[in-house]
Amino acid sequence: MSELVQTLALSLLVGGIYALVASGLTLIFGVMRVINIAHGAFLILGSFLTYTLWDALGLDPLLGVLVTTPVVFALGWAVYRLFVRPIRDAPMSSTVLLTFGLALVTEGVMGSVWGNDSTAIRPSYVNSSFHLGSVFLPEAQVYGGVVAAVVLVGFWVLLTRTWLGRAIRAAATNPASAELVGIKVTSVAALVFGLGLAAAGAGGSIIGVLYPFVPGSHYLWISRLLAIVVLGGLGSLEGAVLAALVFGVAETVTAVYVSPAWATAVPYVIVFAVLLVRPQGLLGTRLRDDAVAA
Amino acid sequence: MSHVSARSRWKAVALVGAVSIGLAACGGSGGGGSSDGGSSGGSGGPALSIGASLPLTGDFSEPGSAAKQGYEVWQSIVNAKGGLLGRQVKLVIKDDASNQNTIVSDYNALIAQDKVDLVLGTFSSLLNLPASAVAEKNRMLYVEPAGGSPKMFNRGYKYLFFAQQATADKQGLTFAKWVTELPEAQRPKTAAYPTLDDPFAAPNVEGIRKVLEAAGISTVYQTTYAIDTKNFDSIVAAMKAKSPDVVVHGATFEDGVGLTRAMLKSGWTPGMFYETSAPSFADQYVKAVGEPNTEGVMYAVSYSPEADTPGNADFVAKYKEMFGSDVPPEDAADAFAAAEVMAAAVEAVGSIEDQSKLADWLRANKVDTILGPLSWDETGAPTGEFLIGQWQKGKAEVVLPAGAATAEPAVGWHPGS
Repeated sequence: MSELVQTLALSLLVGGIYALVASGLTLIFGVMRVINIAHGAFLILGSFLTYTLWDALGLDPLLGVLVTTPVVFALGWAVYRLFVRPIRDAPMSSTVLLTFGLALVTEGVMGSVWGNDSTAIRPSYVNSSFHLGSVFLPEAQVYGGVVAAVVLVGFWVLLTRTWLGRAIRAAATNPASAELVGIKVTSVAALVFGLGLAAAGAGGSIIGVLYPFVPGSHYLWISRLLAIVVLGGLGSLEGAVLAALVFGVAETVTAVYVSPAWATAVPYVIVFAVLLVRPQGLLGTRLRDDAVAA
Repeated sequence: MSHVSARSRWKAVALVGAVSIGLAACGGSGGGGSSDGGSSGGSGGPALSIGASLPLTGDFSEPGSAAKQGYEVWQSIVNAKGGLLGRQVKLVIKDDASNQNTIVSDYNALIAQDKVDLVLGTFSSLLNLPASAVAEKNRMLYVEPAGGSPKMFNRGYKYLFFAQQATADKQGLTFAKWVTELPEAQRPKTAAYPTLDDPFAAPNVEGIRKVLEAAGISTVYQTTYAIDTKNFDSIVAAMKAKSPDVVVHGATFEDGVGLTRAMLKSGWTPGMFYETSAPSFADQYVKAVGEPNTEGVMYAVSYSPEADTPGNADFVAKYKEMFGSDVPPEDAADAFAAAEVMAAAVEAVGSIEDQSKLADWLRANKVDTILGPLSWDETGAPTGEFLIGQWQKGKAEVVLPAGAATAEPAVGWHPGS
């Protein structure tokens, strides 16, 4: 029994962090119909920035979120203006190619700035855990989970409770009508691209503490993140969160009860199975209905 | 409008699905690119070009970059001494991004387009398996600095040689024998064997398991995990439940650090800990797990910077001059040794036209390298005994076998001390 509780606790902590990073990816798709392959690269960039802040200035890596989020937001905004906007009307495969190119360039830049050595961030609490009976909860994971939850709730509030959120949703649902009521769709899109990447930057701070990383680590993350947003329903924030938790649980439960050899494969099997039954993903319909209603 | 949205949505799902599966399947694929290293020209005819493709980016970027340094140090030393066959040596090094497909096209390009005179091997069994096939097909001598999987040597290849002391399945045997000979009170009763699904790490662990099981040390946990595993908490939770006395971990670098950190986090650590690869990464390893946590960790290693082997002092000095560190990483030393082996064959035969003669010479002779003397059987597998290292007071010592030891082996892993 305690093994099950332990397994579920660990998997929810992992899932929470997946959720934060995947939320940015799904947001960018939902509003802009851009599949951002560079998302993982900006995640690792967040990790490297956090490493430098921690290594050079002694800043706690989880407080690093306060720096990486705005920095990566600004970068995302600039990337949108410079690269993505000129090809907004091109077929979707062009933006996939463009963002894949961005991922490679970002990897190269990280390699020349920080080197290709494995980098690890080790704050004082990295090897400690909270113990509840026989169950252990790694401290870094718990703090990371809390930070992820705060950022996610912030996102949700922004999208559903503010005028900016309304403008974003309006631009996503019907760009032409949004322009008619005075929303500058291009500005909103740049903002959303920045916000989406900012979530990756914030996630990077947390992930940098949990796992060692190299510039090439982004491939592992982007494949996982794409599977999560497809499972949740492309463009659905709630779907991404739910799918991330499913992913985390599937990975961990498989590792413990089946074999770690299958742990990274089983979540993809679940994605296939769900897509067979619900091609739009777990919570993909709502946004689709929105589009239909428009 | 609704029709168009729905359709583009379907296309998006299909596209993302395809991209995601593709990326998941190849794990760490990515950019290519090439770089030329070193000098050219010199006396005694045109420069002798030596090609290699190394994983300078992607999953194996860490050892790949170290191997590149090793080759460059060798180039610098050999050119200062007048080159090879009286010709200066020029390295042509490409980046295979740790990808098995890229490495095949890289070695094909090195041989067919760059027309290199000789090739040297790459890093890891995973990449050397396909790369050595290209060299074999082109009848070129292929000395590899890493890639000790037994699978490398059961293919009947004639041009392949491994420039370390033993293949992966035999690298941990000195450690295993030492464990079984410990006094009863200190000898572990139970063992766990987590390992990466890797042609180098898995046989290493398997070799140790066979010896320990034969000595009555029972296996309480055994598992293989995939290369893209990031989260080791679940493996550690499962091991913790069995509480083995010794953990033998088949790892490369990141997963080695990942599992070590997960054990420390869980508050449970085994009495004894052996891990392949990761602990041999000197400074990188200490930085990643924290110096106090290294105390007593044991590992198989091919090289010691303090070894009294021919040319080692020159290698260490030149490495420091070029790259600023007193402690060359093991992979740099292995690459240097691979180049030494190749050069010894070339000098002895006196020509590179028919490279089967180079291979025949290596099969019949012993070569002195900075790793110690190396010799090979018919398959190109080395026939020596591996070193066992142990972290003691923040320093990587060689503890076994007794003849090469810089310190006595100590029983137990004492993290945090």
